[in-house]
Amino acid sequence: MTRPSTWAAVVLLTTVSVACAPLTVGSHVERGLDLTRYHTFDWGTADALPQGDPRLERNAFFKDHFEGAVAKQLAARGLELSATSPELLIHYHVTINHRLEIDATAPARYCPTVDCDPPLIGFEAETLILDFIDAATNRLIWRGWAQHPVEDELENRDHMAHRIDQAVTRMLVRFRPL
Amino acid sequence: MFAVTRRAQFALSLLLAVASAAGCAPIYVHAYAERGTAFTYRTYAWAPDTAVATGDPRLDNNRFFAEQVRASVDRELTARGVEKIPSTSSELLIDFHVTIAQEVATTPSNRNEHCVNCGTTIYDAGTLVIDMVDARSSRLVWRGWVEKLDPVIDNQDWMEETIDRAVTRIMRKLPYPIQHSEF
Repeated sequence: MTRPSTWAAVVLLTTVSVACAPLTVGSHVERGLDLTRYHTFDWGTADALPQGDPRLERNAFFKDHFEGAVAKQLAARGLELSATSPELLIHYHVTINHRLEIDATAPARYCPTVDCDPPLIGFEAETLILDFIDAATNRLIWRGWAQHPVEDELENRDHMAHRIDQAVTRMLVRFRPL
Repeated sequence: MFAVTRRAQFALSLLLAVASAAGCAPIYVHAYAERGTAFTYRTYAWAPDTAVATGDPRLDNNRFFAEQVRASVDRELTARGVEKIPSTSSELLIDFHVTIAQEVATTPSNRNEHCVNCGTTIYDAGTLVIDMVDARSSRLVWRGWVEKLDPVIDNQDWMEETIDRAVTRIMRKLPYPIQHSEF
């Protein structure tokens, strides 16, 4: 029988692991535009670009949780979902790319020849893109993104939900701080 | 002595990393012109937008990036007396493409030199290509491009400055001056 303290430690370690994986966010915005003028939004149709990874296609849990997280954050900023008269149309993409980074854990090496390759490690990086389009002009007025290494989110829904919440919260702070 | 060398290498690596992050890394510019082409074009238009994956999802269909490229090219062509007009009657059609891929940079760049960990850095290296197509013949008459460009996507101000600098450098490769004569 496993003691509760062991389970607590496992949960704590897992949570810390997920929480500590680096997540970076960024955004581009239309210069000089007053973003507080928007009060309603709806979900727009996605463009023709590929998702980038079959594991994320038709993933209903991801879609529901992501759209719910965005709607919640926008509601906190005074933007309501409106199917009839949206001022903003929102669409999003999620892609997974293979990336390289320097292995910070590798010991320093003396490289006497041209064959001394740098200590690199490969990993999968997920990028969430959130596009806000002015419904009147059909122009992109804001793009936010969040990037992080993929851990076990694709298999663990709790971790995926945590990661989505974290990414959406931090992205939308850049759209309009609370 | 060895410690001093290591400190110097570390300082150099740090300097290169900071310079790269600030968009000050060296950029490599090239151009190709179709032989026999008389660069007497005096009007141009932009080719229609096409959704193309760039290798970095942050730049796919990114209007802010695209409009900065177009604004910089417009400024350079205007300075050379080439006028932007509707595409139906322009002499040149202009398009651009960008692709992003990770590059591994090693300091010192000559890897025959001895070093510790060789000051390795990884950065997003972009290739920005500007194409000019003769609107009558649909033939590519000029292509200019910049390689190993870190577009500094995370910082919109730096990204715009980097694009502007890169386009300026590319357009210096245009056959110059463009003459103002009838087609």
